[in-house]
Amino acid sequence: MSQKPSVGIFICHCGGNISDTVDVARVKETIGTLDQVKVTETFEYLCSNPGQEMIKNAIKEKGLERVVVASCSPRMHLDTFRQVVKSAGLNPYLLEMVNIREQCSWVHDDKEKATNKTIALVRAAVQRALYLEPLTPEKLKVTESVLVIGGGIAGIYSALELADKGYQVYLVERNPSIGGHMAQLSKTFPTFDCSACILTPKMVSVAHHPNIKIFTNAEPILVRGFSGRFEVRIKVKPRYVDIQRCKACEECAKNCSVEKPSGFEEDLVQETAIHIPFKQAIPNASVIDKDYCLYLTDFLAILGPPGSRGVCGRCQKNCKSDAINFRQKDELIDLKVGAIIVSTGFSLMDSKLVGQYSFGFHPDIITNLQFERLMLQGLHKPSTGEVPKKVAFILCVGSRSEATDGYSSCCKIGCMTAIKDALLLDKAVPEAEPWIFYTDVRAYGKGYEEFYAKAREHLTTFVRGRAAEVIPNGNSLIVKAEDTLLGKQIEEQFDLVVLSPALIPNKDTKELADMLGIDLGPDGFFLEAHHKLRGVETKRKGIFVAGAALGPKDIRETTMESMAVASKVATFLGRGETSISPEVVYLIPERCDLCGTCVDQCPEKAITKGKNEVTINPISCNGCSICVPTCPKEALDLKNTTEEQMIAQIKGIAEGEGTALKIIAFIEKRTAYGSADLGGQSRRTYSPEIRIIRVPSVARLGIKHVLHAFAAGADGLIFVEGDDSTFKEDKVRERVILFKKDLGKFGIQPLRLQHSITTLPQYEKTLSLFDDFVERVKKMTPINKEKREELKKYLEGEKIVA
Amino acid sequence: MSHEKDKLSAEAKNIPQGERKESRKAFIKEVMKMPGGEKILECIQCGSCAGGCPTRFAMDYSPMQIIKMINLGMREEVLLSSTIWVCSTCYTCTTRCPREVNFTMLMMSLKNEAIRKNLVKDGVNAKFHKYFFEVINKYGRMYEPELFFKLLDKTDVYSLRHSASLGLRMLRKGKMPIKAPKIEQTPWVSKMLEKTDEKGV
Repeated sequence: MSQKPSVGIFICHCGGNISDTVDVARVKETIGTLDQVKVTETFEYLCSNPGQEMIKNAIKEKGLERVVVASCSPRMHLDTFRQVVKSAGLNPYLLEMVNIREQCSWVHDDKEKATNKTIALVRAAVQRALYLEPLTPEKLKVTESVLVIGGGIAGIYSALELADKGYQVYLVERNPSIGGHMAQLSKTFPTFDCSACILTPKMVSVAHHPNIKIFTNAEPILVRGFSGRFEVRIKVKPRYVDIQRCKACEECAKNCSVEKPSGFEEDLVQETAIHIPFKQAIPNASVIDKDYCLYLTDFLAILGPPGSRGVCGRCQKNCKSDAINFRQKDELIDLKVGAIIVSTGFSLMDSKLVGQYSFGFHPDIITNLQFERLMLQGLHKPSTGEVPKKVAFILCVGSRSEATDGYSSCCKIGCMTAIKDALLLDKAVPEAEPWIFYTDVRAYGKGYEEFYAKAREHLTTFVRGRAAEVIPNGNSLIVKAEDTLLGKQIEEQFDLVVLSPALIPNKDTKELADMLGIDLGPDGFFLEAHHKLRGVETKRKGIFVAGAALGPKDIRETTMESMAVASKVATFLGRGETSISPEVVYLIPERCDLCGTCVDQCPEKAITKGKNEVTINPISCNGCSICVPTCPKEALDLKNTTEEQMIAQIKGIAEGEGTALKIIAFIEKRTAYGSADLGGQSRRTYSPEIRIIRVPSVARLGIKHVLHAFAAGADGLIFVEGDDSTFKEDKVRERVILFKKDLGKFGIQPLRLQHSITTLPQYEKTLSLFDDFVERVKKMTPINKEKREELKKYLEGEKIVA
Repeated sequence: MSHEKDKLSAEAKNIPQGERKESRKAFIKEVMKMPGGEKILECIQCGSCAGGCPTRFAMDYSPMQIIKMINLGMREEVLLSSTIWVCSTCYTCTTRCPREVNFTMLMMSLKNEAIRKNLVKDGVNAKFHKYFFEVINKYGRMYEPELFFKLLDKTDVYSLRHSASLGLRMLRKGKMPIKAPKIEQTPWVSKMLEKTDEKGV
């Protein structure tokens, strides 16, 4: 035992967060008696400056070789303490953290049981710490370019910021022009700035900036690589017009005979199938809508060139600069970028889903975005073209709703938009009467409350009550509502009804999130890494989000986030190099017999088999360790979660006196572990019999670990994997079923194993599974000592393979 | 029964602060256990329910106010309100509620609760509720003449004469059967009613 390293243990009180539920003194006393433990200290706040100094001094003075910190979640402070250890001259990977806050003191009430659990967790960490190895992350040069997905105001702003800083920016926009929703707006609140006047110059700067390359009609379809060195494939859909040649003379549009509702004008006016998206469009070139174009929809078109034998091709015939090309195909472009910014914005909810407002049944019931277009076209009623005199603005259409078709969040812009529209209406038509039906007026931003006051001064009628229904009545519309402040029902006739639909995520947000490997929140928008401290970062390093892609947002907040994201990206790329996690699979060559089982298992294709050797690419390996337990020769292992470390930790956690049940939960370290942390943050209590081991993936575990756990004293095992893991649900189930079969052979009830897949916000599901499982195991006949001894002997005598 | 209300209110006034909060909590909990009351804490007081309610004009409190009063623990006021009896169970509020509060079902539950607690305002509505189910219990379906006679105040000559002429007109137009319609398995209906606890008092 003498060559074993010395360990220092530091236990945090977290200012009562831990010490109120866990008897820290007893933990210190018990753990201090373990072999190899040289230092045991407790402290009020370990993460504070004096706490960090204490750890540093202990390492230097006592010559500690391993450090165990029992405090909050490693998701919170692993980097902090690694830094501390590093600055004291120790390799940062020689630190082990024990989570006794989120997964112990915050979730248990019974002080005795919580203390016992803490002792077991710390003991396991000490056992594991003895086998820790120093590791160094590999450094690679970053690619100094950025991909911006989405060319709305968020994308434009961050692209400009980064391009000015000197980075190459690729701006990818799905529509034929950049500009996004902001290009459609008339005036902006609360300053009445003309939207186009402030946006268009920015769009032109983007188009002319030497460091920005715009791809319109394009979408990313594949993202590979890792932070700092992404490889992205962009699909550019055909526009059927050569952007370089097109002079935007609109000669083609004048000759086109097909009309369709204009998307930019929100279907209020018609445009031709070949058209320029809007006057200030960037790039300012025509585009053909292939769903309407007579030539492109004509199945006989293959018979001849455009214009021949009754096939349409009038635009091509009339184009003076020969810009129209019907033969354009999808184009694939591969880009290398160091960072990715997601600024895909939002969509408007379909107002038809809120049936009582009769949207779609009368042309004078419109959305607020349509009202913006009406203001720019010259305010009129879509039905008759008259100037509307009395206009109802109905807020919260589908927002703040728990109904099946509704969205729970506040749209954040509806109140101010309606107030702005009411004031604009007041200015345009002095005798007009704007009525605003509101649930609560939310005027939270700079200058917004004053703006609200202005609307009241202009005698806008505010009705506190969500409108109950809109009834089309010939040329006018009847709005029924309760004025909840008067306690009276009202019924009024209006010329125009403007709805404020909910702001919702784009319908393919999930697809994009999966492609990028980032999370969505429960609202369907992208999820930031931390609500307050890391508001524009995602959980994946090198991928950032800004603007309404994160949730409903106004223009001011969006541009501020764009600048924040540009700063973050510049900091990230400015370091010049990126490090690759050393926690990857490695091969023990002398054990390998070149059977090649692992090659097929790897989801990243990181393992290749040559003639005389198997090689693993450490850059491609994501550390999922699916391959490790499948190797029949045990020739594979995962750094920082090696076989020895795993077994030591399992033994440490399952051993110990007492008759209390011991259930080990193996939890995947990203999503599932974060989910359990969320449970802790919400103080959701669960059975203290549950003891959590953080694993890179449930895939890391083999039958050997299961048997070791039962031999050492465990009564049940739970495996929880994140839903976004490379180890998919069916694979998890398959493997757990195998474990169950093998366990049956040793006379242990297979029902002592349980598995689950979870998402980040779904902690409730996982935690109730814990409770149910504990109840189930309690009812079983206990595993007797002889059985455990038998297992131990078996494990010592023979090697087992999953 | 107005003295009943006064008594309860007086009691409420004498309850110390802590207990009052407890009693408020208890009432909310009680309502949340009733069918329709599960989501009352979700209410954001938007007024969609009140705005579209076709019988709102006859109510003393709007549906939205009833939810607010439940949240404030105003047990007697809620149970003594006319709202719960005026509700015509048209489900307009329930289909439109953005927070999925099943207000119509809650009104039914509150009617039952009011009868159980004997907190019924004078008036025809509670009697109607009671006699309606008595008739259903007896015949297995509606028989209007019997309900009509049960509801009539036999001492009020004016109303008797008025009702008689209305009844005759309805008979002539075939709107009211003379013979009581009976269904085959009346006892089954009674059993169903017993189970649902909708039999009135």
